Amino acid sequence: MKLAKILENESFRIFIRSVVSKAGLTFLFVMVAISIYVVATMPLDFGIRVWSNPKLWADNPKNAPPIWVNYFSNPKLMEHVRIVISKPARVESVEGGGKIFTYVVTYRHGYEQFPQTIIIRFQNVTYYTRYTPVIEVSVRRPDRLVIERLFVWRALTTAGKPPYVRSERIDIEGYKEAAPQLSTFLLREFNITITPERILSREVPATEIIMGKPTVKDENLQFKPLKGRYVFTFKVRTYSDKDYVGGIAMVFVGRAYGLMGTDNLGRDLALGLIYGFPVALLIGVVTSVMTTAIGALAGIVSGYYGGFVDEAIQRVCDVLNNIPLLPLLILMTFIVKNPASKIKISPLAVIVMVLIAFGWAGLAIVIRSMVLPIKSQPFIEAAIAAGASKLRVMFKHILPQVAPFIFAQMIFFTPSAILSEAAISFLGLGDPSIPTWGQILEASYRAQALQNGFWWWVIPPGILIMYAAITFVFIAQGLEPVVEPRLRTR
Amino acid sequence: MGNEVILRVMGLKKYFPLRRTLKEILMFKKGRSVKAVDGIDFDIHRGEVFCLVGESGCGKTTTGRLVTRLIPPTSGRMLFKPSPQTLKHLPKEILVDGEYVELSSKLPKNISRLLRREIQIIFQDPFGSLNPRMKVYDILKEPLIIHGIGSTEDERRKLIFKALEEVKLTPPEEFTGRFPHMLSGGQRQRVAIARALLLGPSLIVADEPVSMLDVSIRAEILQLMIDLKEKRGLTYIFITHDLAVASYICNRIAVMYLGKIVEVAPTDEIINKTLHPYTKALLAAVPEPDPSNRFKIREVPIKGEVPSAVVIPPGCRFHPRCPYAMDVCRREEPPSIEYSPHHKVSCWLYARR
Amino acid sequence: MALLDVKKLKIYYYTLSGIVKAVDNVTFSLEKGEVLGLAGESGCGKSTLGYGLIGLIPPPGRVAGGSIVLDGKELTKLSSEELRKVRWNEISMIFQGAMNALNPVYTVGFQLAEPLIIHKGFTKREALERAAELLEAVGLHRNMVRRYPHELSGGQKQRVVIAMSLILNPKLVIADEPTTALDVVVQAQIMNLFKKIKNEYRLSIIFITHDLSLIAEIADRVAIMYAGKIVEIGSSEQVFNNPYHPYTKGLLNSIPRIRHKEKITWIPGVPPDLRAPPPGCRFHPRCPYAMDVCRREEPEMKAVEPGHYVACWLY
Repeated sequence: MKLAKILENESFRIFIRSVVSKAGLTFLFVMVAISIYVVATMPLDFGIRVWSNPKLWADNPKNAPPIWVNYFSNPKLMEHVRIVISKPARVESVEGGGKIFTYVVTYRHGYEQFPQTIIIRFQNVTYYTRYTPVIEVSVRRPDRLVIERLFVWRALTTAGKPPYVRSERIDIEGYKEAAPQLSTFLLREFNITITPERILSREVPATEIIMGKPTVKDENLQFKPLKGRYVFTFKVRTYSDKDYVGGIAMVFVGRAYGLMGTDNLGRDLALGLIYGFPVALLIGVVTSVMTTAIGALAGIVSGYYGGFVDEAIQRVCDVLNNIPLLPLLILMTFIVKNPASKIKISPLAVIVMVLIAFGWAGLAIVIRSMVLPIKSQPFIEAAIAAGASKLRVMFKHILPQVAPFIFAQMIFFTPSAILSEAAISFLGLGDPSIPTWGQILEASYRAQALQNGFWWWVIPPGILIMYAAITFVFIAQGLEPVVEPRLRTR
Repeated sequence: MGNEVILRVMGLKKYFPLRRTLKEILMFKKGRSVKAVDGIDFDIHRGEVFCLVGESGCGKTTTGRLVTRLIPPTSGRMLFKPSPQTLKHLPKEILVDGEYVELSSKLPKNISRLLRREIQIIFQDPFGSLNPRMKVYDILKEPLIIHGIGSTEDERRKLIFKALEEVKLTPPEEFTGRFPHMLSGGQRQRVAIARALLLGPSLIVADEPVSMLDVSIRAEILQLMIDLKEKRGLTYIFITHDLAVASYICNRIAVMYLGKIVEVAPTDEIINKTLHPYTKALLAAVPEPDPSNRFKIREVPIKGEVPSAVVIPPGCRFHPRCPYAMDVCRREEPPSIEYSPHHKVSCWLYARR
Repeated sequence: MALLDVKKLKIYYYTLSGIVKAVDNVTFSLEKGEVLGLAGESGCGKSTLGYGLIGLIPPPGRVAGGSIVLDGKELTKLSSEELRKVRWNEISMIFQGAMNALNPVYTVGFQLAEPLIIHKGFTKREALERAAELLEAVGLHRNMVRRYPHELSGGQKQRVVIAMSLILNPKLVIADEPTTALDVVVQAQIMNLFKKIKNEYRLSIIFITHDLSLIAEIADRVAIMYAGKIVEIGSSEQVFNNPYHPYTKGLLNSIPRIRHKEKITWIPGVPPDLRAPPPGCRFHPRCPYAMDVCRREEPEMKAVEPGHYVACWLY
């Protein structure tokens, strides 16, 4: 209902006329849309629960570039694949109690590369008796060769009361149970003798034996990846009717990952970057709104009251304006981050608070100087003559005169808040529980990502910081002719 | 016009302190000040149009602002006689002589607000005196809200429409939705007058209300003010630099020079029996639309320009420019001399010694 | 031959919200040594006309037609470089509020002498001597050459500005509201100065003001402008003592006079929006004598007596 009014508004028309403001608004729209998506879909404690939780990222390839680099490079990098099966393909009852669940994982390999490794996860193997379930794994390869009983896994009895629940993560490389079988497989099918020890020491990687075709070249044993369909069969033998397996996951650890690649802990950078949107928006908006609100209030009071109040506020502003912000921020966050410190505040909150505390002074000085001439305008005196109180004069008559300027300042202040946070985070003083673009940059810097050529870890957060800053700079630029009529071109 | 005095001003002074210079601070000198109004006395009778005339910087506008209590005086008294209905609400102990209120004293907030309704002001600049971001309706509604006049929006709307009709902005609904910049200068000044009238004042200070308007519509606004005065029984303090306008609308004229009233008399006397050399000079300087004037050089008997109100000449403050300056003028300030009933002049030429 | 001949001059502002016809078909002439008073209300185009004559119309305005002939030279056809030479050498202008536009960091003498040094190749000493002479001519002490603007009073500054307009001996001076910021007494002094200059220099002056009383003080001929057009032009005596146009009459009747106690009147209504002026006579919505023809057709300038022209259907 009010939208039509806004669209008709002259100021808005002037604003929307410029290309810069259109671009700024589009950028902002994208930013807000992504933020809404993030807030709706990602947990609020994403930082602690997901981002800083190494267990979650263990299966991922480290320092992997994004998958879309395959469009530009040859040979193609193998995409990371994770397959989760929760329903068994077959269930048979066994006489005398228990069942046999058969799970089948099918994987089609199409690269000239082997996976870095294969990881198998048994999730929530649940049982009620001391007869623990047994899982037998076999593989059928594209060349129709079968590795029977690649390994057999048995859940060990747990102390305590039933149900007993176990989960297991098996990295096929260096997995003791699989090595003898692979050795036998090579001997039987290809007549190649490799001791299990050599497999265990990864001299001959297990993954390559499972997924490759051995060739001997110049006395050197080499494996060539076999393309095609691999079928992994998991036979689960339980001894009680209640026993079951929560699920089986297989990870073929690739060399390229997701939309934005991974960092040195295998974290999905896309997640971290997208989470940065609402955080940046929050930092920017909270800081700028608070800053301009305090600054405007102080400026109006200072300008309107004059005398001692004015003098006091202006001296405070002078002091605040002349304290260098960055060293102070570093000191403050350092204090807060010190584990011995008694103050338990998120460093991010400290950054925001310091930015607010030191940011309003400049605005207050400008607003005061704007209020002074307004104060002596006859319409102010007319209001006083009509009996208006000081509060009424300040908020009904003076504030609307400076409001457009305040609004523009608010938007103008947003990028500087975002940049300040990024700078602080980059110095390693950010809040580790909340990932921001600055922190991702900082982590990449610490891991010497640039020197190692991990550009996907460095460039995107940098671009996003610029994007957020430019969004608000554009909007502020578009607002300038609205606020400053002298800049209006015809 | 009766002889009932509605406002009695005695020894009113307003000094604006200047920021002390470094030299003054170092030498422990007292800061200087602009003596905008430097001890003036006058009485205003109910129903009259009393004019303050003078050049820029003579203190006439400051006087208007003092009377409207926009600024507090440095010293002096301003006794104001409120209308009977206001008088009822005032506590006896603050009254002087049972019917006057001392405007220069610090009044309790509620009484101060009550008195604001009694004395209203119209400003010179019809562009600046209306908030550019408010519509005419909201501009007029504001005094009603402040004073809690009219309990419902409907009642207020009626009052606002009536006020607009009173200042001949008809039909009112055509103007209520407009912003000030959508009005002509004359229309704006009418809105300003309507706003002043809404509170039902008995005294209106009109500070150069027509000097920024086009000549062709000045008469219209002046006539409106005269009509309203008759209808509402108003009293005006009319501040202007233009003697022609003053002589047209005013009953009595007080001529101000450098913060003092140098001559005060009924309009006819001021113009036809001018006493003070400064008043004479002002009158001589007023241009008239008579084409034969171009063949003669105007005799303006005084030289120079108004000195700064910071360093006021000793003795009679007009003596440096006065063609009749005598020794006594340089030494002593002239007293206010009652030359004839109602005609007072501050000049040694008329002192009976 | 007349010194200045303006014919059918049109100056339009091409704004986004439409063409503002600030000066529309204005014709008049000015003899040497003559003072023309140009009077009208705010927004009637009188200042724009002044700017137009010296070729300094602020954008988006420009001359849209007509001719300005000064001393036989067609000004509208000149290049901006040629026009710049004409300016100050032949026409100078006293801008409204010019007294507050003096440069505070230079002495009065230097600001006066500068054009002489630049345009006329004077040495600094000669130029300052000439400046001092001119200051005396406008009633200031010659020592003023060494003063800075802030040391002068308002009246003194206005005198300096007048001296500046005379420094290159122009044939025509355009004075746009030269006394508005001044007090009556000082205004009278400045008007006396104008009278003196006019007699001593045989200067042609176009005196632009909203104040008819001031025009009566100085002008030999008077042109009354309304909504971008001259509605009446004639000698001062003709216009002031025997006005024909209803607008002129209205204006004269609205001036309060100190010693005459008759009631003053006003012209109802407001001047039109020059983006869309009313058809026919532009004054007809405010005119008490408006007839049908006034609403339809624009009146032509007609001579009502020798040298007295009026654009009104009544005559």
